[in-house]
Amino acid sequence: MKKNISLILGIILVFIIIGIWVLSFVHMPYNPNEMNISNRFLRPGFDSDYILGTDNFGRDILSRIMYGSRNVLLVALVSVTLGSLVGIFLGALAAILKGLTEKIIMRIMDGLMAFPGILLAMMLVAVLERGIKGSIAAISIFMVPVFSRLVYSMILDTENLLYIKAAKSYGSSKGQIFFKHYIPAMLPRLVTQFSSSMGSAVMIETSLSFLGLGIQPPFASWGLMLSEARQFFLVYPYLAVAPGIAIIITVLGFNLMGDGLNDILISRRSNDE
Amino acid sequence: MLSYVLDRLKSSILVLFVVSIITFFVLMIIPGNPAQLILGTDATPEAIAELSSAMGLDKPLYQRYLSWLLDLFKLDMGKSYVYGESVTTLIGRSIPVTFSISIFAMAMAVFIAFLFGMLSAIKKNSIIDYFSRSLMQLGTAIPSFWIGMVLIVYFGVRLKVLPVSGFVPIDRGFADFMKSIFLPSLVLAIGEVGTLLRIVRSSMLDSLKQDYMDMARVKGLSAGTIYIKYALRGALTAPLTIIGMQLAKLAGGTTVVETIFALPGLGRLVLTAVEHRDIVLLQGLVMFITSTVVIVTLIVDILVMFLNPRIKSFHRGE
Repeated sequence: MKKNISLILGIILVFIIIGIWVLSFVHMPYNPNEMNISNRFLRPGFDSDYILGTDNFGRDILSRIMYGSRNVLLVALVSVTLGSLVGIFLGALAAILKGLTEKIIMRIMDGLMAFPGILLAMMLVAVLERGIKGSIAAISIFMVPVFSRLVYSMILDTENLLYIKAAKSYGSSKGQIFFKHYIPAMLPRLVTQFSSSMGSAVMIETSLSFLGLGIQPPFASWGLMLSEARQFFLVYPYLAVAPGIAIIITVLGFNLMGDGLNDILISRRSNDE
Repeated sequence: MLSYVLDRLKSSILVLFVVSIITFFVLMIIPGNPAQLILGTDATPEAIAELSSAMGLDKPLYQRYLSWLLDLFKLDMGKSYVYGESVTTLIGRSIPVTFSISIFAMAMAVFIAFLFGMLSAIKKNSIIDYFSRSLMQLGTAIPSFWIGMVLIVYFGVRLKVLPVSGFVPIDRGFADFMKSIFLPSLVLAIGEVGTLLRIVRSSMLDSLKQDYMDMARVKGLSAGTIYIKYALRGALTAPLTIIGMQLAKLAGGTTVVETIFALPGLGRLVLTAVEHRDIVLLQGLVMFITSTVVIVTLIVDILVMFLNPRIKSFHRGE
């Protein structure tokens, strides 16, 4: 029973964020980019017109948080999807074809893994443009080695199992074996990895925006909001509260969901980890 | 044993070679002529052509790669156009900052992770276990720039006990040095402690289930001996590997924290290089940082092998 707490809590948190994201298309209290200098630095409060307060340009923080959820989720979802597809493809190619293909692909993956933290993403942003497209490309490439190594090792683990050998012996093609046998066998781990990768993608996106390398002003993004708050938060600490909590809820949600899925989808000796 | 070390050495060199290819060719895609970037927009075409040939930009790409690689071996990484100084000098000056906060951060993370990881494995499902498991999740979910800002407000502004920005070198007083690196290191430690705690806890749980633990209990050894001498020793391999990876990651991945606390470290150099598209500086930094990662990982792998010779045969099957 206990192991499902992560999953339930994770799903609740992810639903909160998705709810905010959906709501941002239906209704936002104010225009998130509309400046109103006479209303700057209004403190948050439930009796106020601006529940989460306003920033240094008098923009409504709640609307900016809602609008920012679009960018964060868009970047994370698109880049993890792209990165996982390419990663799965390359990992499978290496494991199934073997030989020189395997060596070249896996050495490139080792090389990509040697870039610590957000260094690879930062280097790619230097080459690409700053903004949504640059962030998506950078985070996608960051995700490729994660998925390709996972798929590679999973195929090597299963290729000697009897049912795969049987499929080979009656002449199934490599593609058939991959889609009919490997993919279903790998799905639980891939789903788990996808969820945790969403968490790290959100973290990288917000870090890039915080450093000024992601989504550019005046558009709202949580990392950018915190970066803009840096100049004023010593006097107005509330500026940093809402974006920080939004990021924590999102990352925590996807991570917990990944852990919970891991517990129920992948049979393991114990539920300790 | 020697063959394993040689094997790992060979693959480390191969990884660095691949990294050098990725770094060189990816950064070549940057639009615009580097000579133009250095001289500015009002430079004459002749001046640009002259500088281009002086920088070797008119040679074929593979020749430029080879000469760049040869210069790397001589520790000549070229000159940064933003700072107007040699990249080697700039990196040398930033190393003490980044390495101090990384090492101190890992020391804190290791202490907290082992303390709570062991306790929570020994007293599974107790209050301390729930606390540790919450710490695991929160540690990885809290963005470092946010916790950094919170700590600055609390320690720096409310309590006024710690400086909120800048770095004091160790030769200007140990106390001031520690004060200047405490908050940044704490922020980094919070980011790393979750992953490490998780590994310590699960290795410890595994280790507690081993037969030799029953044996130790049957022999009537004291709790301290059982947990420290037997269980902990059996549970060291996985955490050590992770510590190595985290240390390597920190050595090159502290940009965010260095930005918040205005520390003149490697991460700040990376950010400046990216912002100004200073290709020469970025190439040098990336090669230096990835080499650090690869070397630290290699050392840790060899250490782990000495602790646990079974690894040797395991790795060979890879």
